[in-house]
Amino acid sequence: MDKTNNKKIENAFFVSVLLFVFKIIFPSANTFILLLINEILILASAYFWFIYVSDFVNPKVSKPLSLVINAGLLNALLFFLMSASSWLFSGLKNSTDLIYVLFSSIIAFVFIGALSYVFAVYKKLCFYRQKKNPSLYYKIMLIFFALTALASAFFKADKTVEGLKVVLPDSNSLIYNILFAITVSLILANSFRVAWIAFLNKKQKINLLMLSIAIIFISGMNSANDNFIFIKNFSPALNQLLDLVMLYGLLYFIIVFFITLFHLPTAEVIDRKNEELSSFKDISKMMSQVFDSEELYETITSTTLKVSNANASWLVINNNDDTTIHSVKGIGLIEAKQLSDFLLGRKIVSSSEAKIIDITEVKGKEDLPKDIYTIVSAPLSIHNSNKGYLFAARKTYYRFEEEDSKSVSTFADFAAIALENTKLLEESIEKERLEKELDVARDVQYKLLPQKIPEYKNLDIAALFVPAFEVGGDYYDFFEIDKNKFAVVIADVSGKGIEAAFIMAEVKGIFSSLSKLNFSTKELLIKANSILERSLPKKIFVTVTFGIIDTKEEKFTFVRAGHSPLLYLSDNNISRLVPQGIGLGLNFTEKFDNLLKEMEIKLNNNDIIILFTDGINETLNEYFEEFGYDRLEKLIFENRHLSADQISKSIMKAITTFSKNRSQHDDITLVILKWNNNINKPGVN
Amino acid sequence: MADFNVTKREVGDVSILDVNGFLDAHTAPDLENAFNNLIENKNYKVVINFSGLKYISSAGLGVFMAYVETMRDNGGDIKFSNLKDDVYNVFDLLGFPMLYEFYKSEDEAIAKYNRAK
Repeated sequence: MDKTNNKKIENAFFVSVLLFVFKIIFPSANTFILLLINEILILASAYFWFIYVSDFVNPKVSKPLSLVINAGLLNALLFFLMSASSWLFSGLKNSTDLIYVLFSSIIAFVFIGALSYVFAVYKKLCFYRQKKNPSLYYKIMLIFFALTALASAFFKADKTVEGLKVVLPDSNSLIYNILFAITVSLILANSFRVAWIAFLNKKQKINLLMLSIAIIFISGMNSANDNFIFIKNFSPALNQLLDLVMLYGLLYFIIVFFITLFHLPTAEVIDRKNEELSSFKDISKMMSQVFDSEELYETITSTTLKVSNANASWLVINNNDDTTIHSVKGIGLIEAKQLSDFLLGRKIVSSSEAKIIDITEVKGKEDLPKDIYTIVSAPLSIHNSNKGYLFAARKTYYRFEEEDSKSVSTFADFAAIALENTKLLEESIEKERLEKELDVARDVQYKLLPQKIPEYKNLDIAALFVPAFEVGGDYYDFFEIDKNKFAVVIADVSGKGIEAAFIMAEVKGIFSSLSKLNFSTKELLIKANSILERSLPKKIFVTVTFGIIDTKEEKFTFVRAGHSPLLYLSDNNISRLVPQGIGLGLNFTEKFDNLLKEMEIKLNNNDIIILFTDGINETLNEYFEEFGYDRLEKLIFENRHLSADQISKSIMKAITTFSKNRSQHDDITLVILKWNNNINKPGVN
Repeated sequence: MADFNVTKREVGDVSILDVNGFLDAHTAPDLENAFNNLIENKNYKVVINFSGLKYISSAGLGVFMAYVETMRDNGGDIKFSNLKDDVYNVFDLLGFPMLYEFYKSEDEAIAKYNRAK
């Protein structure tokens, strides 16, 4: 491209320089040969400039109107030059003068340049949006332009105008006249190529009408102007060329003017088609705008303005209980709210189809904004469920037509899908965020649990913890109080996820510090409850069983604050121990203290204590049946001869088999303490 | 998990909430909304009818704790009625019956409100 461009300008420059040099050597071409060379050089330079300039016209081809404006301006420049030159050259009588030659050459080149450009523009317009290739006609026309120009140089009549000798085409020459006539008919034939007009919108068409009048006027003036004598003397052919191009402009724009005028009444239809086309682009843009609902709302209302030719547009989105207004355009937020509340409240809009509402005919319109006359409402529906409404309104007396309502309705359907997509995406992002949060919660929970089971003489301890996908808030721990006493705690924080994990952390802190202070089990829970009053959210509670084993006294003392029963197996008998006590956080008065009852168990050989959370007994099978206490007790009883760890494993196995295909919905926690005097070997004490 | 729904009825100045299905961490917000509505309308005398409730989790229990204070501070209460045995056991284990009033039937709960007037 650059290479051919360079070549084109080289050619143009070469011919121009040649012409200039020729003019300096032969200021007046008065022999036939010299005149011929002169004219051929002129035509050649005009042609090469035309070829070169055409490239500059190309990129602008999508904006025909700006081309027309450029042509008009250059026409005006030519007009100015012509008017000025006759005055400018009136002092330079001698056409062989070097200064005269210099001046006239410069002016002539400006003419050639401007002409080339104007002509290139005409050519572009002519070829614009043409289905058939018009170049043959055009080429023939160009040839006849050249022929007529040459003919004008040779079949000429010398005349004297205002005391100056000028050459004019001989109007009696048959050859010249024939050539001229053919050229004019070719110009006419080519002037009907005006397909580009159809694609202008109404506003552009009106502008084009004005421009046409201006160009017709200027071209006409230029064409009629006989005063630019020096050009005629410089080159009769150039003069003729100028005349022809002006004539071409004149004829072409007369045709353009009338065709535009005839197209004007249908301009709005074209406009609408164009809008529909561009709104398709907007729709596809909208469908991909799923990352930001605000941005999507903006696109929806601005496109609605376009498709329905409305003055105002806004969205009403249904949330769970109320509606919100979004992206209000062309009207105040308060006005939009008034209108949509009014229309929705009186059920004037329909949730199944688009409706045209004539505000002027609505009863009770007195409080509504006065400047809105007509409204289209279209429901935003997905799978027959209404997600909101799209409104378009006009501030003119022109009522919305069925067609407007149809396009708003179609557009609303697409908008509803786009909105739904955005919502789904936002939900899945939220889901991902929650999953990350759960990862953190699970991590916290693991770190809070004891890393290893403590070892005590006469005591066989096992613990089992299986977290649910959503962290359930289960917690267990062991604390050494002194060399004969150790505390065990099992707790369940209500609620799930990160919140439960944080409360669990606090509970651990409270128990680990209180257990060092040698409180009784009851005193300790009362303290814990009052500490939690400061931080526990109203709807969160913590159930706890807290017990202390005294290995020396061989007894187990415990309290239960709302927690699951403690199972106690002794002497081949299993019992469910439920001493009175309400959950931590349910009440912060003495009521809590008064209701809490301590219980003491004397430990005998092979006694088993089982602490667990409701995740075990509430485990569901595929028939929605709970695992329950009975199954658990039976299992423990059957396995009572096994070690704590083996019992724990058998419970886990039974639960897994029971729940088979169901996912675990709560944490499962189990602590088994088995008292065994027999493992007390002599000498170890 | 299976669904949950809550509907509101009024008997005199007592509001009855019928809770149905599974009340857990996921469905608890529905019940919270119902309570918020009651407070907005200044309905502080509430009876929760549990006849349709199949399951309640700790998060579900927490909802009552969150609202009972407001109700009691405004001369009302949250009373429970028509609990199935297994649902009642959950409340019982936690100690709710020591802090809240439970009734076999909704009428008894309403009668209690009316007697207090």
